[in-house]
Amino acid sequence: MIRVQQLTKVYGTTLAIDRLEFSIERGEIVGFLGPNGAGKSTTMRILCGSLGATSGSAQIDGLDVFEQPRAVKRLIGYLPEVPPLYTEMTVRSFLRFCARVKEAAEPDRQVEQVIERVGLSSVAHRLIEHLSKGFRQRVGLAQALVHAPRVLVLDEPSSGLDPAQRVEIRELVRELSQGETTVVLSTHVLQEVEAVCDRVIIIHEGHIVAQDSVEALSGSGTAIQIRVARPGPEVLAALEGVEGVVAVQASEGGRYRVSASTDVREHLAACVVPFGLLELSGQRALEDVFLRLTGEAA
Amino acid sequence: MKVLYIAGRELRAAFTTTVGWIVLCGWLEITGLFWVLLVSNYAMESQNLVFNPYAGAYMNLTDYLLSPFFGNCAVILVMVVPALTMRTFSEEFANRSMELLATSPVSTAEIVLGKYLGVLGFVLILLGLTLQYPVSLLRWGSPDWGAIAGGYIGLLLLSSVLLAMGIWFSSLTKNQLVSLILTFVVALGLMVLEWGSRSPDDWMAQLSYMSHLSEVLQGAIRLSDLAYFGGGVVFFLLATHQRMESFRWS
Repeated sequence: MIRVQQLTKVYGTTLAIDRLEFSIERGEIVGFLGPNGAGKSTTMRILCGSLGATSGSAQIDGLDVFEQPRAVKRLIGYLPEVPPLYTEMTVRSFLRFCARVKEAAEPDRQVEQVIERVGLSSVAHRLIEHLSKGFRQRVGLAQALVHAPRVLVLDEPSSGLDPAQRVEIRELVRELSQGETTVVLSTHVLQEVEAVCDRVIIIHEGHIVAQDSVEALSGSGTAIQIRVARPGPEVLAALEGVEGVVAVQASEGGRYRVSASTDVREHLAACVVPFGLLELSGQRALEDVFLRLTGEAA
Repeated sequence: MKVLYIAGRELRAAFTTTVGWIVLCGWLEITGLFWVLLVSNYAMESQNLVFNPYAGAYMNLTDYLLSPFFGNCAVILVMVVPALTMRTFSEEFANRSMELLATSPVSTAEIVLGKYLGVLGFVLILLGLTLQYPVSLLRWGSPDWGAIAGGYIGLLLLSSVLLAMGIWFSSLTKNQLVSLILTFVVALGLMVLEWGSRSPDDWMAQLSYMSHLSEVLQGAIRLSDLAYFGGGVVFFLLATHQRMESFRWS
């Protein structure tokens, strides 16, 4: 559905993305993961045709984004980081405008459907400028969905939403992908990736540093952070003695980082208690992978 | 078709924002004031004719009422237009709402043209509302309809070029105030350029819209004047188009 080859974007002298290559199948949910400024938004904006690339190519459903922008834009629904809204309009009239500009097949009916679907019925008659951030985000989502696009590109869809609304968005995304919609979403909330994505593309400083399914990336292992009051070589030995532990790294302040093939938190806790156990936290594996790949590990 | 959706949205936005209503009310108030002053002045001058009956041969509605009125309207338009065009692109840049149209199946030309027609529609409404003044003359006199038509055509030509210029300035900045000031200053500069000219044919006069406008307001529509206004519109709309495209590829 989406094919990106050697995609490069240079802003002035800064290299935003460097020769990205990936492809996404129909109905897949793919998460772009990366620290701020990694190039996620740039990639998404290029895919959606609001930004030109310096070199390389991008195709959506066999259509070239740069050669046939109009045809491509008909297939895409895009929610940027800041939802693009005309705040002086009511929700319904705004969505009607979007439906017409985006060439929805049956604009008025699709507007009512999308209002229902993203839960905007109670505010449909209100001015967008009077809505809370959560509702504005929903209007942004509705705007991306209104013409029933085959590809949905969501830049940080859950930012500014409360936990209940995040769950709703995730459910909506999953529901959409069952209906053959391909979804690309960017986020730095790792739980979100684990919860909805089939595949993850980790981008760092304009490069793809990893792309694989969520399971393959996280493996079965875990990483555990421990802090004890009285560090020393005995602690290291004790930790390494626990069955399932692959590696132990000691750092300042009595901190240890334990990599294990299985969840060994209970055994670890038991063996470090004599040294004055202060903290023990299990880090999810994907987080560990992410931090390691983007070079932000402690 | 989509040009009209965009134009319609732009026009409706003008009526749902404070700026639009302030402009509308201000325009009606100032043009109304001018009209009342001109009419009462005309009435007083007419009374003086009792003492100087020969002067009556020179006094008519066109020269004493309509021409100065349209001239005044032109000056007010120079102030009105920047307030209308400042929103068009600047506001979308500031709100980051440009992404909506930029990622919709619409061309840059359709976006620029749609926004242009939207503000032009607003000015048409402004001009339409002033029709009440010349029409009110019908009750007491017989105004020259040719002069009235010339006046409106002139105002329309003037606003079409100023609007195109204002839209271009708006596409250069995300700050509405900067867009407003730039448009106003350049429009004012083009106006006073005529005062500095030595003859109606030198470059300063030719560049100023005032010299072209005065011909049209007097009812003489020359090809050169039409070319001036039409060329100006095309130039600024193309410049805006260029600006929006370069944005995408910067």
